[in-house]
Amino acid sequence: MDLDALVISGWSVVSPYGMGAGPFRDGLRAGRDGTSAGPYGPFERAGVVPDFDVARVLGRKGTRSMDRVTGLTVATVGRLLDAYLPRPFEDAERVGLVLGTGSGSVQSIMDFTRDALTGERPYHVDPARFPNTVMNRAAGQSAIWYGLKGPNTTVAGGALTGLLALSYTARLHRGGGCDAILCGAAEEISEQRARLEWHANGPGGGPLGEGCAMFLTERLDTARRNGRAPLAVVRAVRFGAFGAPASAGEALRRCVEDALKDAGAPDDVRLVAPAGGPFSDHESAAIGAALGGRRPPEVRGRPLIGDTSAASAAFQLAAVLAAGMDDGLALVTSIDREGTVGCALLGQPGAGT
Amino acid sequence: METARRVVITGLGAVTSIGLGVEAFAAGLREGRSGVRPITAFDTAGFAHANGCEVTDFVPEEWIERTDPAELGRASRFSVAAARMALRDARLTDADVRGRASLVSMGTTDGESRDLDDLVAAQVERGSEHVDPALARRIGAGRLSSGIVAELGLTDVEAVTIPTACAAGNYAVGYGFDAVRCGDVDLALCGGADALCRKTFTGFYRLGTIAPDACRPFDRGRQGILTGEGAGVLVMESLGSALARGARIYAEVLGYGLACDAFHPVAPDRDGITRCIRLAHRNAGVRPEDVDLISAHGTGTKANDVTESGAIRQVFGESPPPTVSIKAMIGHTMGAASALSSAACALAIDQGFIPPTINHTEFDPECGLDCVPNEARVADLRIVQNNALAFGGNNAVILFGRYQER
Repeated sequence: MDLDALVISGWSVVSPYGMGAGPFRDGLRAGRDGTSAGPYGPFERAGVVPDFDVARVLGRKGTRSMDRVTGLTVATVGRLLDAYLPRPFEDAERVGLVLGTGSGSVQSIMDFTRDALTGERPYHVDPARFPNTVMNRAAGQSAIWYGLKGPNTTVAGGALTGLLALSYTARLHRGGGCDAILCGAAEEISEQRARLEWHANGPGGGPLGEGCAMFLTERLDTARRNGRAPLAVVRAVRFGAFGAPASAGEALRRCVEDALKDAGAPDDVRLVAPAGGPFSDHESAAIGAALGGRRPPEVRGRPLIGDTSAASAAFQLAAVLAAGMDDGLALVTSIDREGTVGCALLGQPGAGT
Repeated sequence: METARRVVITGLGAVTSIGLGVEAFAAGLREGRSGVRPITAFDTAGFAHANGCEVTDFVPEEWIERTDPAELGRASRFSVAAARMALRDARLTDADVRGRASLVSMGTTDGESRDLDDLVAAQVERGSEHVDPALARRIGAGRLSSGIVAELGLTDVEAVTIPTACAAGNYAVGYGFDAVRCGDVDLALCGGADALCRKTFTGFYRLGTIAPDACRPFDRGRQGILTGEGAGVLVMESLGSALARGARIYAEVLGYGLACDAFHPVAPDRDGITRCIRLAHRNAGVRPEDVDLISAHGTGTKANDVTESGAIRQVFGESPPPTVSIKAMIGHTMGAASALSSAACALAIDQGFIPPTINHTEFDPECGLDCVPNEARVADLRIVQNNALAFGGNNAVILFGRYQER
């Protein structure tokens, strides 16, 4: 095994199943419906993190102006650090954070403009809430909360966001400036997000979901040095694009085939975590074609916790870790309505690691 | 481990309030043109002052070929147009680009917040359930980069938007550098885009950081920023690729550094900036005395300029190189800011001049920098540094160099 290999050596989620990896694993395995009755904007149901109140979870100090997506992120990062990366850090300047987002919090952004438009003066807004309207708020606030002084990057790319965050993280590791990078994505349920998604996708879509999934990534040798057992090796992350929606499957097939080539193991996929969104049929056909007709077992979170949008691919990666990887490779795929596709291959760490 | 490839800039695209396209932008920088005018993007009644640096002569159809502009928000129109300009400048056809593995990375602060403003205005007027589906479909931040992919018909491509606020342009360029250098892609289209919006103007106004008339970075009488808009895109490729196709090389990307203050949500931190500059120097293999010019973040607020100057002096000692801010000319274009200043750095190296810091009236000993006041300067530039700082303490510094055979 290549000692430079990028491994995931810890993970945590805050999900509609509750706080932490345990409830998420149990909920997925049981196939339990994680959504609850609303209404949430125009939706009747949504996958909401139960009883998630920012001040209750993180304490009252410093949370007065913290919005929901920032709270979900700070809480998840905290759980990940508590479980796997004890503080004080050996070198905080070498701990990075790469966070995926849709558009930050559209609720925070739109509330701010609403205050500006409806107040007595157009500048009668709460200055403490201004940072919530900037999309790197959750990443920046997590850094402040826990003293993460390494690279701090926010990435966005629709349904592919979690895969793009993983790709960004992999390149950042190759640069050699970090010992550990926390990588993941977050999304919140809000009235405005619900309205916007309802109208953007057309009525009739499934329920929305929310939460944050975070992974501790490091090089294999770093994990070993710190006595952490790697849970998965990142073998490949690949992307592509298509013009007409009819070519979505073709683009994803090529993408998966390239990833299998990168991993050097074309016949070894034992688990698949598809996005299962509006392009589900194209996605299934593409996976089938790329795997030569073989149909490995699947793990699907979206029907249970809802469409977590920008966090969806990160939750797919978490679903793979929740399912456990005994052998072979796990494939995560996604297709975004803007014409982009992506996939990742996770491998099991193997004997001797 | 593969040998790291050298990465060069071979095309530039710019949508700015002082000119559209690389030639107009370069001429504007050289002349010290000002993009300042009263804001028309939204109703400014009730604000004591509302100047900005708006792009007023942009007709999307003149630049965008395949996409219906109605499907794009204003920031995405800027983004796609700037990519078109950059490809043309690089003398690359759509077919050339489609045949290569590529990365598209675009930075932004606000994405399509201009559309979100309009959605809120409609809700205030017509009830909070009201949503225009056409606007709802185009607000995702990811579209700043996927819009370029669609316009060019790319298929072998990774498209990512990097919304790391006001340092996002440098983040995006840095990511392109990494992807080309390690051989993952042959070509990278990288930069940043933002559109002027009420939300951001209001936030900065409320913080007391909008200048009443003009932006005066490093000036004793500076009173703040002016919000701006636009987009900058750089075509980056490996040196081998550029030489093989006989491309014009503006500059080489030498390396960059990212660091987080982990200190304050909005205030810059001198020691954090210092650390980021030193990291960038180390990654680029550059010593402070090698740097001929600094393109500063230089927002023109009291706090930013004195803090950034302090960091520069910590690294460079008592006689730092000339340090300019093009924000005096084009305003603070947010996520586009460090992409456009990256383009300015490449132009400065290629054409041998230092863009001036305009609107300068009085030297500020607290900053103590040679900001190249008001008039451009002829200069032989070998290495240029581009600073970018953002909310959340997200700092990014890039080093560019004149291309020389080794």
